Amino acid sequence: MKLFARIRSWLTWMVKRSQQENAMEVEVRFHIESYAADLVRSGVPQPEAMRRARIEFGGVESHKDAIRASLGLRWWDDLWIDLRYAARKLHNSPGFTLTAVLVLAIGIGVNVAAFSVFNLIVLKSLPVRDPDSLIRLQRRSPENIVGQMPYPSVVFYREHTKTLSAVMVTMGTRMEFEGDVQPMSANFVTANYFTELGTSAAYGRVLDPAREDRADAAPAVVLSFGFWQRRFGGDPSIVGRIIHLNKKAATVVGVTPFAFATLGAQYPDVWLPMTQQVYFVEGSKVLTDASAGSVEMWGRLAPGVTAQVAEQELLALTNELRKQHPKDIWDHEFIKTDPAGHIQVMKPEMYLVLAMVGALTLLILAVACANLGGLLLARGVTREHEIEIRVAIGASRQRIFRQLFTESLLLALLGSVAGLVLGFVVLRMTLVMIEAPAWTSAAPDWRVFLFALGMALATAIFFGLAPAWHIARQRQRKTIARQLLVGAQVAASCVLLIVAGLLVRATQHVMYTDPGFGYEQAISIDPGLASHGYTPTAARTYLNEFENRLRAVPGVASVSLSRMSPLGITVSFMTVDILGRQVNIYPNWVGPEFFQTMSIPLLRGRGLLPGELGAVVVSESLARKQWPGEDPLGKQFWQKDRVVGVAGNARLNAMNDGDTVEAYWAAQAADMPAMTLVVKTAAAPEGVPLMVKSIAASIDPKLFPYIRLLKADFHKNVQQVEQAAMVVSLLGIVALMLAAIGLLGLVAYAVSERTKEIAIRIALGARPSHVMVVILRQFVWPVAFGLLAGVAGTVALSQFLRRVLFGISNLDPTGYLGGIAVLIAIATVAALLPASRALRVDPMRALHCE
Amino acid sequence: MGKQIDLLQGTLDMLILKAVSLGPLHGYGVLLRIQQISGEQLEIQQGSLYPALYRLEHQGWITSEWGESDNKRKAKFYRLTAAGRRQFLSETEKWNRMAALIAGILRTTSEEI
Repeated sequence: MKLFARIRSWLTWMVKRSQQENAMEVEVRFHIESYAADLVRSGVPQPEAMRRARIEFGGVESHKDAIRASLGLRWWDDLWIDLRYAARKLHNSPGFTLTAVLVLAIGIGVNVAAFSVFNLIVLKSLPVRDPDSLIRLQRRSPENIVGQMPYPSVVFYREHTKTLSAVMVTMGTRMEFEGDVQPMSANFVTANYFTELGTSAAYGRVLDPAREDRADAAPAVVLSFGFWQRRFGGDPSIVGRIIHLNKKAATVVGVTPFAFATLGAQYPDVWLPMTQQVYFVEGSKVLTDASAGSVEMWGRLAPGVTAQVAEQELLALTNELRKQHPKDIWDHEFIKTDPAGHIQVMKPEMYLVLAMVGALTLLILAVACANLGGLLLARGVTREHEIEIRVAIGASRQRIFRQLFTESLLLALLGSVAGLVLGFVVLRMTLVMIEAPAWTSAAPDWRVFLFALGMALATAIFFGLAPAWHIARQRQRKTIARQLLVGAQVAASCVLLIVAGLLVRATQHVMYTDPGFGYEQAISIDPGLASHGYTPTAARTYLNEFENRLRAVPGVASVSLSRMSPLGITVSFMTVDILGRQVNIYPNWVGPEFFQTMSIPLLRGRGLLPGELGAVVVSESLARKQWPGEDPLGKQFWQKDRVVGVAGNARLNAMNDGDTVEAYWAAQAADMPAMTLVVKTAAAPEGVPLMVKSIAASIDPKLFPYIRLLKADFHKNVQQVEQAAMVVSLLGIVALMLAAIGLLGLVAYAVSERTKEIAIRIALGARPSHVMVVILRQFVWPVAFGLLAGVAGTVALSQFLRRVLFGISNLDPTGYLGGIAVLIAIATVAALLPASRALRVDPMRALHCE
Repeated sequence: MGKQIDLLQGTLDMLILKAVSLGPLHGYGVLLRIQQISGEQLEIQQGSLYPALYRLEHQGWITSEWGESDNKRKAKFYRLTAAGRRQFLSETEKWNRMAALIAGILRTTSEEI
């Protein structure tokens, strides 16, 4: 109540200031005149009465000031005055203002861009109906993490749950479209998918639970907006037309909207009803097989139900399910829910990447702040005179400090606005580059605005507080502040440069060294036998036939089976403790000609025989880790398997991660439905896929193998690292430029401050080199400490980088030395440039100046 | 003038609340009323009345509106609000307790210790 009254009164004064001031004036005049009138009545003559009334009232203006102070208005009045003064000051030195705003815009802009990405991924909700109640559901147990669920389990949960108001299923797959060699992507979804998200079609209709949930419904397909544009030129009459997927006819019922927001950022070319999966993928057992995980499960929490309550209920249902399928449910299995109302379902390692990016961008801001701090200190010298006068006419230190800080605040706000613009441009470019979903937008929302405002305040405190304090106390001649600033800048740019150096090294390593396997002339073929319901025997026959037919193709050098498709989407690894260290082993089950086909050298021993049991081939690095300094041949590995050979390192499924090792076993009969084929061609492989396709069609027309040229995937992989290296290098260069400007400014300032001293030294015959040493000595230690701190920081930070360095050590000396060398070179130039000016000082003129 | 008493710190607010609790008054009226009910014993620096009035209004204990004075001039009249009345009562009680306590202490003689 009291607070409310205060706010109301304060607002009245803020809004109707001149009216209130007038009223105050009228009231005071009324008082004085009334008193004077009373005095006249008591016999005092009129002029004398007015004089006495005024005297007894006291100083009108000082009372008015007291009134304003009692309302809390003084603070705002002062702020307003300071702001106007600051604006004038900045306007009068456009060079300084421009430099400062530019430096801040870069520092803040980079952070705004990084935060915007974080906002987009983590904070922003999907533009769908009630996004907060959407969840992703996954099977978990202490030993297992699996993203996919058996469809019958999902049906069981859906029929019995009371905590979920809806259950949706998605299943991504590749399909052949009208005889194309390149497959198209398709998502099978339950028919409630679109209605639950509240999406309606751009043309025609979306899937309809009333129609497409029935197994006997006519085959229907919904086209994505992009696919419709690409393949049908955006022709609206497509609705109702028949198209062929996997050679099966289906009617186009509609087209999704342009800015369609989907669960888990899945953007396939077409959407198909889950119930018709068997129709499109002949022989598929997805809808009935309770043992194989094949679909992703999504749900919507019922109103008022929390995720924990839902998890409890689902745990009870899982235990119920175990009674029906004892073999298919793990020990201690439970369902884990994750919020799904955002563009991505976040994984812990993604937070790590975000934290890493955040740390790097904050470093840039630190450099920018340190830089500006230096500029402000230097500026303090030129304003010494002004401040001396203000102190002399009675300004308090606090008042001067406040005024100087207001100036920094204004600068920070200007920088923040420029940073917002820069951040918008950067994010816009990023979104275009990564082909972000059409509903995403680079326009800042309230969170980004708030972040930019917070950044402005934080930077103002960082770069403005200390210099304002120093200048207000007129103690800016202290060199320690300057040295700290130099040290901080050098340390922060050092981290950025070394990280950039490491990433550049990693990119070079990938591009110019052998990845350990032949990708230029290799083709991967995934016939998808398991998804078409092939039995092990049928799969064996099919693969035999396929292998034989492939060998007969001219230009094919060798063919082999491989359970894991090289550079494929499906990855499997086991984390094993080797001599106290956690090592990820990538296993593969292969045919006898695998090493030859993939051009992986056999360094010791022999390869695997067809179907051989109890034998394993390990990679060189695995052998070195497991049996350092010993002969691995004949050693026991895993479940009493004997090491028969050692193969070269070949990170087929974890190209970026230098810490991984590989182990190979002979493929067994039971593995056959999961097998893929690898082919090595004698010459360029481009023409071969078409022949592979016709062979596949003639063996079993129901199957539509996924055929990939490994070199395309390899280059895509490298490109991603190149982009990351480019971005970090850019950040490093920006930081370096900032640090160089900062150092340049500080040395120039130190020189100008000591012009007289230098002139005297020169006049007395000091050698130029000696003068140089005197000037630069105070910067040597800060730079050295900065470098040391920077290297230490990078060593700590780069632990997180190991996984993306393509086998380059995160302590790679070349990367470190490169970064440090560049930094020292730039720092030297930045210091020598202004220092050399000091040597050209004309002693006579310098000394006459004063 | 010599016999007049200087105001204790913080008592001016209470006196103003008392003055306007007896009926709406303009600033000058408040001054006259305080002098009148104190039997001309209190010295109030006239101008310092206004920061106090504005502060009390800012805190919501008194409210003001423009009206016409006895001599037919436009003047701002202050009136006690409900919150102001509560504040005044509690201040009065506090004051009385304090005054009684101090008086008790000052009355104490050496025999009573």
